Amino acid sequence: MIDVRGVALAYGECVFLRGVSLALRPGEVLALVGPNGVGKTTLLRAMAGLHVPAAGEIALDGRVLQGLTARARAREIALVSADGPLVEGVTVRELVSAGRLPYRPWWRWSPAPEDAGAVSEALAHTQLTHHAERPFHALSSGERQRVWIALALAQRARTLLLDEPTSHLDVRHAFEALRLVRAFAARGHAAAVVLHDLNLAAAFADRIALLGAGRLLCCGAPQEALDEELLRVAYGVRIDVQRQPDGRVVAFANPNA
Amino acid sequence: MVSAVHSSSRRAATLCALALVFAAALALGSGVGAVRYPPGDIVRAVVHPFGTSGADQVLWMLRFPRVLIAALVGAALSLAGALLQGMLRNPLVDPYLTGASAGAACAVAVALVLGLALPALPLVAFVAALATAAFVAALARTGSGISAERLILAGVSLSALFAGVVTLVLVLAPPSSTSLGILAWLGGSLSGRGWAELSWAALYALVGGVAALALAPALNALRLGEERARALGVNVDRAHWGIVGSAALLTAAAVSVSGMVGFVGLIVPHVARRMVGSDARWMLPACVLVGAILVVAADALSRALVPPIELPLGVLLSLLGVPAFLYLTFHRRTA
Repeated sequence: MIDVRGVALAYGECVFLRGVSLALRPGEVLALVGPNGVGKTTLLRAMAGLHVPAAGEIALDGRVLQGLTARARAREIALVSADGPLVEGVTVRELVSAGRLPYRPWWRWSPAPEDAGAVSEALAHTQLTHHAERPFHALSSGERQRVWIALALAQRARTLLLDEPTSHLDVRHAFEALRLVRAFAARGHAAAVVLHDLNLAAAFADRIALLGAGRLLCCGAPQEALDEELLRVAYGVRIDVQRQPDGRVVAFANPNA
Repeated sequence: MVSAVHSSSRRAATLCALALVFAAALALGSGVGAVRYPPGDIVRAVVHPFGTSGADQVLWMLRFPRVLIAALVGAALSLAGALLQGMLRNPLVDPYLTGASAGAACAVAVALVLGLALPALPLVAFVAALATAAFVAALARTGSGISAERLILAGVSLSALFAGVVTLVLVLAPPSSTSLGILAWLGGSLSGRGWAELSWAALYALVGGVAALALAPALNALRLGEERARALGVNVDRAHWGIVGSAALLTAAAVSVSGMVGFVGLIVPHVARRMVGSDARWMLPACVLVGAILVVAADALSRALVPPIELPLGVLLSLLGVPAFLYLTFHRRTA
């Protein structure tokens, strides 16, 4: 479990997010939403141990992240950054194999049997087995995004952090990517996803952390976090929220208000 | 350039084929020159190393160290180029980016003006190359790591500064052996190099080479971008220092015995990627072999084309290698 306790995030002297406290629990998908520049990506990077908070601390199962080695962190937390590069000259399997780096000592160049198993499993979970020997650069955007998720799954980490995994994807491929995240959580793991689409967040996340005005405005179930007043504070525009008969909430911006 | 995807067995076969071509290039390089020796003489000299015949003497005293130095220069520059291209994810980077060769050329020019003896030049060049690379790395330092942009800017700036100093020396120095010595250095040459130069350059190149191969997994992770490499547990700062350090050591070892040999460090990594793909575990060994073959062959040509004159190695590589590379690259793309 990742515990974010009273965290402030800054670049240099400029503090842009303060007093963030939230927990990422096993078995759940947490969506991080909020306007551009509020610090969603930086919060995600901090939860991966790649950005040191200006104040507060982030702990993994009670151990402060900064006290862990980079390798130990990578075995526990996998991060899928936004906009992966177009790597050339590698097959899908080779790229996904990079997920085993945290387990491989520098002198061992060839993968161990457990590495091959983890890679095959990650390919199977992401329905990429039949693409395994294809060149990565020949895949479509949606398939590439699945490869990055497969790479993270191959890390066999218990926590998966994804930064805008649905950007550049159409609705079907966005659903596919987020279903993979849900399936990961269903196996008893924890996932946090930065999303821009509030409805995707409401549909796929157990809880939503709404960031805005330099702080965490709310962290709770979609029905609780997608509150019209909180959304107005966060985004500075009016967003109408409708509750469906089945309990789901649907948000849509109202440009005329 | 798009790299093809290759299976492991095909890559292993490619490396074996390259090793055979390398052995053939060594034999060819040992045989050509003012006096030509057939392959039989070369094999005999290798099998009986303490022979007293004229052929044995020439081969062991002159030819063998020379072809081995050529192989070392090609391998070291190619490896350094591949390391820096991988770290900076920029296919236009060459090993001279660290300023090592410009620093070495400047030091050699000054040493020649000061009347330093020729045998001292490789050591002067080596020290200057390493010192320049260290200075460039220090300028590029940000926090605990090295900034790619700052490294490029510092390397290019210092190289321009040293090139200016060399030109100034050429203009001001009397038209004598000093200018000729500087020009020979700038053109690249293996003339007059022997076991002494080979032994210590090989030592440093070996250290740089082993470090480079140990960095292969980190280099593979860096292909995914620094952020993703960090998320995979790679200590990116340490990897950057390792890459710049080993590239500087390899470049310094090469330029100290050969002078300025351009083109190899820029182009060979591209050729190697085409042959075995971009996985550093295969690409780096392929770079070693392709670079060694290329420079051994070019050195042999430099001696064989208009004997007894030796053409400058760097000039020959540029004049023949660049058009060949351009043809292969653009002909295939438009075909």
